[in-house]
Amino acid sequence: MLSTEKLTYWYTDKDQYLFKDVDLTFEAGHSYAIVGQSGSGKTTMVSLLAGLDTPKAGAILVEGEDIKKRGLTTYRRDKVAIVFQAYNLFTYMSALENLMTAMSITHASHKGDKAYAEAMLTKLGLTPEQMTKNVQKLSGGQQQRVAIARTMVCDAPLVVADEPTGNLDEDNTDDVIGLFNQIAHEQGKCVIIVTHEPSVAAKCDGVLRLEHREFTWEKALTPTPAA
Amino acid sequence: MNFAKRAWLNLLAKKGRTALLILVTSAIMLFVMAGLLIKSAANQATQNAKDSVGATLTLSANRENAFKKMRAQQSESAGSTSKPSGRPSLSMDPVKLSTAAKIAKLNGVESYAATVSASANAQSFDAISTSTGQMTGPMQQENNSGDITISGVTSTASSANFSDKTYTIKSGRGLTIKDAATNNVVINSELATQNSLKVGDTIKVKNTAKTKTYTLTVVGIYKAKSTTSSSGAMGGGMGMMASDPANTIFAAYTFANTLKGSKYKDTADSVTFTVSTPSQVNSVKKAATKLISSKYALSADDQSYQMVKSSMATVTSFADKIVWLVAIAGTIILALIVILMIRERRYEIGILLSLGEKRGKVIAQFFVELFVILLIGVGVASAGGQFVGDKLASQVVSSAQTTTTSSTQGFGGQGGPGQQGGAPGGQMPGGTTRAATQKAQVKQAKLATRVNLKDVALLFGLGLAIILIAILAGAGGILRLNPKKILIN
Repeated sequence: MLSTEKLTYWYTDKDQYLFKDVDLTFEAGHSYAIVGQSGSGKTTMVSLLAGLDTPKAGAILVEGEDIKKRGLTTYRRDKVAIVFQAYNLFTYMSALENLMTAMSITHASHKGDKAYAEAMLTKLGLTPEQMTKNVQKLSGGQQQRVAIARTMVCDAPLVVADEPTGNLDEDNTDDVIGLFNQIAHEQGKCVIIVTHEPSVAAKCDGVLRLEHREFTWEKALTPTPAA
Repeated sequence: MNFAKRAWLNLLAKKGRTALLILVTSAIMLFVMAGLLIKSAANQATQNAKDSVGATLTLSANRENAFKKMRAQQSESAGSTSKPSGRPSLSMDPVKLSTAAKIAKLNGVESYAATVSASANAQSFDAISTSTGQMTGPMQQENNSGDITISGVTSTASSANFSDKTYTIKSGRGLTIKDAATNNVVINSELATQNSLKVGDTIKVKNTAKTKTYTLTVVGIYKAKSTTSSSGAMGGGMGMMASDPANTIFAAYTFANTLKGSKYKDTADSVTFTVSTPSQVNSVKKAATKLISSKYALSADDQSYQMVKSSMATVTSFADKIVWLVAIAGTIILALIVILMIRERRYEIGILLSLGEKRGKVIAQFFVELFVILLIGVGVASAGGQFVGDKLASQVVSSAQTTTTSSTQGFGGQGGPGQQGGAPGGQMPGGTTRAATQKAQVKQAKLATRVNLKDVALLFGLGLAIILIAILAGAGGILRLNPKKILIN
């Protein structure tokens, strides 16, 4: 579903690269965790996979097509849904409006379908009253649920999450990871989560470690992705 | 949910910021509107002045030419060995009415009026004496030019003093063209009171040579607005008693010519042509100049129009400055607010970009937000623009009038075209009297600001341009923003 070909990235000095010539493959219907120390480049990798940044060299292929060819804006709109540690919701909207906005921008198949958005929020445990409240009035766990619901209502086959449980307590963390696995296994999406929590990584189907500028599979799927 | 709905939600959610933006935009729009209204009112006032003030051309003897002739005579006398016969005199040819009739046929000439000044001595009544004491003695002894001023006119209505209401008919009637070749006269109310004269009475005057007596019929009595000796100030060589304006008798120009002598038949000291519109003055003057010889001069008098125009030009220029300054300041202020607003909303922009929203639509969202605010601002400006415009306009007009009045007073002192025409008797209306009229006209040019659809449309267009510039300046950063830098860094 998603693969990288000789993916290379550096900030300012070409010789001080963050990672070089990385070849990875991620399958649809699975959840993956990328782990590693702070500053190792996990977030940069996830930004590249999400189309938020451009690789210095190499390519990212989605369904065999280089995302650069498609254009990063179109790629983000059609192929990827992103969840952040800080939820990144529209703070002047309600949970329902957040979902409707995302569905509208991404031209989702359920675009404009309020009932569908409500059903999704209900599925993620929000009451009708919470759905119409301004998102800032919801708890952290509820806001992250809204962010996850947003990825679910969009048709993007790839879900990328950067430290999605960083602001949550243990119970909410378990719930959120459960939801991500549900998205991967039930909706057939490819979910990639960046985390520093071993407990979160352990619940994912595949675990990829970034250490000393090298990616290694700690927990591989079958067939084994190329390292 | 498209960008327009997002914009609407944002406006509703951020009430404080929306209120601030409405306040700032309304203030900017209000002042731009005031400027536009003043400008539009000034243009209207200029147009009205063009339509109503009118303009005249005066045909009279060419004084410059006459002076040249006199100087040439002086040089000749100095060159000859014989003793000079006396001081050379300034000889000016009166205007032939046949020439005036030709000019009157030109395109753009509405009407014409002849003016002849002459002097006479009161015979059956007493002229009003205004001896001041300072002017007694030898000077008075030398007075032999008559104590009554005869102002020969085609009609009193065409006389400047009557048309500008300095003089008004108190009883009886004014002179009309039908009074030509009659001895009908209109006398001053002071003169009438002093001599117990009323309409229908007859009076007798003698020519200055005291060789012939004329009987005149009083058909009207006029009253002067003020009792200043303004026209007397123009009197030049007139006698001191004749200098009292109350001693001015209006008669048909034919009678004034009769008093001056037979060689003045069918002539006038000056002929004033009324031109339909001030803008035609120059073309009429050009055409008329071809019909006259160098002995005559044509002077245009569209000063009333020019003064209103000049006064309004000051106002228009000020209004222009208001519009531009406020528009520029408004653009800067709004651009700064938009820049700050965009900085504050970087995160929101990042989310939109991460969802795959096009940058153009992000800018469009800001545009819609400001557009709604602009609509309210234009509404406020349309409602309050008239009030602000009126207040500002009265200040501007007042300062413009102060400037114009100063220049008017200067003009009166130097003498205008009217004085050229009135050379022989010095009784032509001009100088101070004309300047006073013009002052009055400028005063009448009060700006009537009124909000109309055109100004509202113009304001809306300007506002649109302001918010477009402000958004482009503020959103310049958005185009450079990398979503990763916003959302992750």
